[in-house]
Amino acid sequence: MNHFQLAFRNLRRRPMRSLLTMMGVALAVGSFITLYGLSDSVHQNVQQSFDEQGADLTARRSGVAEPFGGTINQNLMPKVAAVPGVAAVSGQLITFAATDNNDTVLAAGWAPDSFYWQHVPLIEGRLPELGDAKEAVVGNEIAKTLGKKVGDDIALLGEKFRIVGISNYTSIINRNRVIVNLAPLQEITFRKGAITFLSMELEKPNDEGEVNRVIETIEAMGGLAVTKSEGMMKNDSMIGLLSAVSSSMAWVALLMGVLMVLNTLLMAVLERMREIGILSALGWSKQRIMGALVIEGFLLSAVGSAMGILIGVLGSMALSAAPAIGRYVAVSPTLGLIAVTAVAAIVLGILGSFYPAWVATRASPAAALERA
Amino acid sequence: MNPRGAGREPLITFEHVGYEFDQGRIVALKDVSFTIGAGKSVAIVGASGSGKTTLILLMCGIRMPTSGVVRWKGEAVPSTAAWTDLRRSEIGIVFQDFNLFPTLTARENIEVAMFGRGLSARERGKRADAALEAVGLGTRARHLPQEMSGGERQRVAIARSIINDPALIVADEPTGNLDSVNAVAILDLLFELQESRGVTLVMVTHEPSYAARCERQLRIKDGAVFDQQPAVVREVAS
Repeated sequence: MNHFQLAFRNLRRRPMRSLLTMMGVALAVGSFITLYGLSDSVHQNVQQSFDEQGADLTARRSGVAEPFGGTINQNLMPKVAAVPGVAAVSGQLITFAATDNNDTVLAAGWAPDSFYWQHVPLIEGRLPELGDAKEAVVGNEIAKTLGKKVGDDIALLGEKFRIVGISNYTSIINRNRVIVNLAPLQEITFRKGAITFLSMELEKPNDEGEVNRVIETIEAMGGLAVTKSEGMMKNDSMIGLLSAVSSSMAWVALLMGVLMVLNTLLMAVLERMREIGILSALGWSKQRIMGALVIEGFLLSAVGSAMGILIGVLGSMALSAAPAIGRYVAVSPTLGLIAVTAVAAIVLGILGSFYPAWVATRASPAAALERA
Repeated sequence: MNPRGAGREPLITFEHVGYEFDQGRIVALKDVSFTIGAGKSVAIVGASGSGKTTLILLMCGIRMPTSGVVRWKGEAVPSTAAWTDLRRSEIGIVFQDFNLFPTLTARENIEVAMFGRGLSARERGKRADAALEAVGLGTRARHLPQEMSGGERQRVAIARSIINDPALIVADEPTGNLDSVNAVAILDLLFELQESRGVTLVMVTHEPSYAARCERQLRIKDGAVFDQQPAVVREVAS
C-alpha cells in the first residue's frame, strides 16, 4: 500500500460524497472548457470569415462597439480607392435578417465592383447579376438547413430573393451566409448609401511601411478605424465583452469546484479527527498528515478534471449543434485549452485541500488514547 | 533471555514531572520522578481518573509536562517533532480500543505505521506479513477489522506496535475490551514479545493479577506516583 492507495481508500469510505464532489469539479471543468472554448471559437470563426475573403485592410466606423452596428457612407469608397497604394476597394453591408420559417440568417450585400465577387467559391449555379437584381448566393450549410436549392426563393426581411448559386466557404459563418447585391439589401434595411465594412486590397501588402502609411491616410479622412484584416477581431470590443463574460463565468465555475473539494475534505477531516490523531500517535509528522490530505484533494480534482474534459467536449459539441450558435460558431476547444483547464483545476483542487489539511494537523494524538 | 541486554540503561526518566489542566485548576500529576530501565515490564495501576493515561501520554511525548522533564535514554527530548520521530521509530502504542483503520486490511493497518521509514511498499508489505505471523494472524492479512474478533484486532494492533522494532511498547489497558480468555492470550503475547525482543513494556491496567505479571508497578494516587514491587515479587524476595 502507498499514499495514493490510502487516499483512495479514504475517499471510498464516503463514495456518494466523493462522487458528487468529483461531479462538481467535472461540471466546473466542463463549463470552463465549454465557455472558454465558445469565446475562443467566436473570435476564431469571425476572423476566419474575414480572412477567406481576401482583403488586406478593413475599415469600419470608428468608435462603434458592435461589429455590425456602425455604418460608413458608401461615397467614401472612391476616395479610399484613390489613396496611393490601394489597389481595390470593396464595400459590404452586413445584417442579421429574418427569413423563412421565423429563422434568421446573416446577410451580406456587396457592391457591384467589389473584389469579393472574384473569390466566391461556387459549387453550384452562378453569381448574381450585379446591380439591382434580387438574386442571392447562399452558403451550403444554410441552404441545407433551410432546404433550399438553386432556383428557389429565399426571404430576407420579407423581400424575396432568387437563389442563383450555392457557395462552399471554409468558415462556418460564411457557410451560413446569404450574399446579395448591395443596393437591394440597403433598400430593405433602410440603409441607403450605407455600408458596414470597407475592405481594401493593397498594391504592396507585405510592405509594412506602405501599409501603415495607407492606414494613416485613410484614418485622416475622419470617422474610420482601419485595421489589417488578419487582426480584425483582435481589438473588437464586442468579442472582448463576450470573452470577458465567458471567462468570468468559467472562472466562477472553476472556483466553485475548488470550494467543493475544500468542503468535502474539511468534512472528511472533521469526521476523521480521531483517526488522524491515531496517525499522529503512530509517528506521522504534520507534513505527512498534510500530504495525505492533499493527495485526497489531488485525486478528487484529477478524476473530476478527467470527467470534466469529457463534459466539456460533449458540451462544445452540443453548443455547435444548437442552431442559434452552431450556425455562426463551431465551438471546438483546443487541446491547449483542455490541458490548461485540467492542470488549473488540479492545482486549484490541491490548493483547496491545504486548509483542511492544516486543520488535520491540529488533530491531537491524545484523542487516540481517550475513550471513544 | 534479553537480546537488548536491557535493564541496565535507563530508557524513560521522569524528573519532577508535573502536569496541570485548565490553567492550573486541575493537577493531574505532581512532582513525579522515576526511571524505567530498558527491557523491563512495568504496570501502571490506579483508580479511574487517577492520571494513568496522562502518565503514558507524557511517556510517549503526546503531552508535554507543565513542569519537570521527561528524558529518553537519558536525554531531554527537545520538541514535539522529536517525540513524533521517537513514536515512529522507538515507541509502539497499543490502545484499549484497538484504533485500527476500518477501511484498511490487517496488513495495511500495520503498513500505516511504517510510512515515513524510507521503506518501499513491497518491503512494508513483507514486514507487515511477518509481524502478523508473529502474532499468529498469518492467514488474516487481507481481512478488515470488522471481519475479526476483538482478540484478533488487538493482535493486529500489537503487530502494528512492534513493526518498527521499538524499544518501548506502551499498552493502555490492552485487555480492557476483551473477554478473560482473550485477555490472557493477549497478555501472554505481550510478555512473550517483551521477553523475546527485549522491549520495555509499560502497561496500564485495572486488573491486579495482570499487573502482578510485571516486574514493577507504578501506582498513581492523587497525582502522585508510588513505586512498588508486585506482591508475587515481594513474596519471592522475602
